[in-house]
Amino acid sequence: MTKYIIRRLLVFFPMLFALTIIVFTLLKLAPGDPYSQIMDPNIDASVFEEMRKEQGLDDPIHKQYFRWVTSVVQGDFGESFRHKGRTVAELIWSRLPNTFYLGAFSVFITIIVALPIGIYSARNPYSLFDYAATGFGFFGLAVPNFLFGVVAIYLFAIKLGWFPAQGSVSQPGLAGFDLFLAKLHHLFLPGITLGLSSTAAYMRYMRSEVLSVLGSDYIRTARAKGLTERTVLYKHTLRNALIPIITLLGFEIGTLLSGAVITENVFKFPGIGTLYIESIGARDYPVIMAITLMLGFFTLLGNLIADILYAIVDPRIRYD
Amino acid sequence: MVKKRSWLLLLTFLLTLGLLAACGGQEQTGGETEQEEPQEEETTQPDKKVVVGAMDTAPNGQFNPIFYTDAYEANIIGLVFESLIARDENLEFQPELAESWEINEDHTSVTFKLREGITWHDGEPFTADDVVFTYKALSDPEYIAAGGVRTNYVARLVGFQEYQNGETDEFPGVVALDDYTVQFNYAEPNVLALADAAFPIIPEHIFGDVPVSEIPEHEASLKPGKVIGTGPFKFVDMIEGEQYILEKNENYWKGEPKLDSFVWRVVNANVILGMLETGELDFVGDPSGISPDDYELVSAMDHVEIIEEADFGYQILGFVHAFRTEEDINNGVINPDNFVPNEKLQDKRVRQAIAYAIDREGLIDALLKGHGEVVNSPIAKQWWVYDDQNPTQYKQDVEKAKSLLEEAGYVDVDGDGFVETPDGEPYELTMAYPLGNPIREQSAPIIQDMIQKVGIKVNLLQPMEFGAYSEQLEVNTDWDLYLLGWSLGTTDPDPSPLWSADAAYNYGRWNNPEADELAKKAITPPDAFDRDFRKEVYSDWQVMFQDDLPALLLYARNSIWAYNKRITGVDHLPWSLLNDVHEWDVTE
Repeated sequence: MTKYIIRRLLVFFPMLFALTIIVFTLLKLAPGDPYSQIMDPNIDASVFEEMRKEQGLDDPIHKQYFRWVTSVVQGDFGESFRHKGRTVAELIWSRLPNTFYLGAFSVFITIIVALPIGIYSARNPYSLFDYAATGFGFFGLAVPNFLFGVVAIYLFAIKLGWFPAQGSVSQPGLAGFDLFLAKLHHLFLPGITLGLSSTAAYMRYMRSEVLSVLGSDYIRTARAKGLTERTVLYKHTLRNALIPIITLLGFEIGTLLSGAVITENVFKFPGIGTLYIESIGARDYPVIMAITLMLGFFTLLGNLIADILYAIVDPRIRYD
Repeated sequence: MVKKRSWLLLLTFLLTLGLLAACGGQEQTGGETEQEEPQEEETTQPDKKVVVGAMDTAPNGQFNPIFYTDAYEANIIGLVFESLIARDENLEFQPELAESWEINEDHTSVTFKLREGITWHDGEPFTADDVVFTYKALSDPEYIAAGGVRTNYVARLVGFQEYQNGETDEFPGVVALDDYTVQFNYAEPNVLALADAAFPIIPEHIFGDVPVSEIPEHEASLKPGKVIGTGPFKFVDMIEGEQYILEKNENYWKGEPKLDSFVWRVVNANVILGMLETGELDFVGDPSGISPDDYELVSAMDHVEIIEEADFGYQILGFVHAFRTEEDINNGVINPDNFVPNEKLQDKRVRQAIAYAIDREGLIDALLKGHGEVVNSPIAKQWWVYDDQNPTQYKQDVEKAKSLLEEAGYVDVDGDGFVETPDGEPYELTMAYPLGNPIREQSAPIIQDMIQKVGIKVNLLQPMEFGAYSEQLEVNTDWDLYLLGWSLGTTDPDPSPLWSADAAYNYGRWNNPEADELAKKAITPPDAFDRDFRKEVYSDWQVMFQDDLPALLLYARNSIWAYNKRITGVDHLPWSLLNDVHEWDVTE
């Protein structure tokens, strides 16, 4: 197992490295740069030429990449073009907590909603409840995030007034429990919006897993031994049915960070997703690269964790 | 037992979530504990007068007027900082921080008398040194490298080049004669003598000792509570990306603002209307505005007042007259002598035929629901030089378009419904357009269709994301028609930054020496100081523009702003809802 982890770690960094080369090259090959979109007749165009020279944007790509890598290795992600006077690290740190809460909240919602419904559906297949859950499952997978978000805002924030429509907190200067409540209140709608499709997916997974495990021989044996239905369900069925779910959760880490882009935008929830998309639009290279690196890191890490968890929860799986 | 464990799991989850939120909380409130007190005050004083405005995108976060670039930052800067003089609704300059001024005879120098007794938000007096400092910072050798783009305001000052190159520490361009008198000296007689002096002033006592290269990252450029101006509101707090909170400047020199607090909220464009209806938002101004599609919805809200103003800008259908050579593109040079003509659009009659093919009124009715205007000059109609009579008006006339084409030799010889060139070759134009403005995107296929109706085949290119489009505008070598929008400043009516042959933004590479001559004549002293003279010359220029057609001006979309009727004292300018905000008040 240790050997396996070490082996995985050894390919981890080369993969990150390759990712940055590819993304950096693609970024630079894409037309436009941080200055090309500022089209203001009151600004002398030669100013931008001077800035490009100053920032080394005219250098060959490999030179620029090398410069970037050298400073990143030293822990310096540079300064943002768009957010003048601010370092990339500071920008990301100021946004990361919000995205993290949003991701954690939506995973939480996903788990407490999807698993029980999935299990109940599997135990009562083809019942009215099962059909309703399946219907909800298709709805959740089919409805796009932004549409659900806007409708949720209209209904629950504007018409009913139960939740705030936008933002991550109601006012500055809150602290302690008030802050916690305000954050939770603001997380509700975006959290559900972000978690909707994964809730639907996990529910479907859970249902089919439990169904297939329930039909297997060892469950029949367990029942034949005279075990209570509860023991059969919790001890024998769920442990086996949860295996694929755990893997999925591992993958989820990267997806949550990047998948929040649309949801964050609909709710004007200032997190990594909005920063990422705005930076791409503005060709803010240092910010784009830093976030890409981070997303890559978390996706690879998530996969690694999933594989390790796999071995832990499923005694049949051994890495040598 | 197992059941218990799952509950434990749930509990752990909740706890971690709570812990995380609490940690985050400390981070955000760290060092701002004093903020809690006004909070309580707010709950005990329900009659605090607050208005909430909407922005659909968060400002980038640079709140220093000499370094900001986006329109959202401008919303905040505009309430915090002020200039010596500002334009009124007729685009004439009025005193602000300066109470009077005198221009010398040959327009090379302006002497401003500053208002005495004005203080910065931190209590320091405002003096001529602040003015000198601001203009010195704009001219600093490190200014551009630090990300500054406003050198246009200082380029005409005496000694600017030498100072910017670092050859001298002397700065004769802006001089303090005494604490409350400041003199602007220009290298040549300057038509923009006043416009150049209208830049927002920043405090010397804050930035005086900071190297210009470090000003963008200075806390007084970034942090609420540290940003110091002279304006009616102080920028006191923010939740980055969500709320920007300003509080009244009790010592404001025009009188204490009637509002206690002015809050900008960042709200998704789809949600703005809903929140305006519930009263969570009080007003929507620039740059978000109300879309023409939503006009009816908003006008149906009883508690909301709508303002509609002609825009300071227009959308164009550009004709590519010529391309730059590859060599010039690589060297970043714009040399009209090297322009390679675009054969497909060399004949003026073809361009005119296309202009006649397009039903601009129809576009405005269909896409802007009538909330726009046809313009026939690239100078904003609010300016005194705008000529609405003499330039060709190009009312849609399909027959005329067809006869112009025929006259130019473009006829349909093979009977496919589209004309061929005079040599009988197939004739096809490519048209490019960017993403980002839904109305412009919708207009592209309609325009294509209108042009095809007179017999010219138009090949619509895949729309491009704006970042890519803006670069292609400069380097492409195969476009014939392009869509673009310009919003014009209120600096001066001079059209040459967009339309002279050597202007970077003249993407169609229109090269008409006669027109350039006129544009130049209009700003050449001493005649240029005679308004009637300037008006006459610009009239000729506008006629030439419409005749030679570097672009067809499609429409000027109206700005639509809305505010809750509980706000009183709104007295907007043609280009902004925010004017004399210290007079705004709320009634319950």
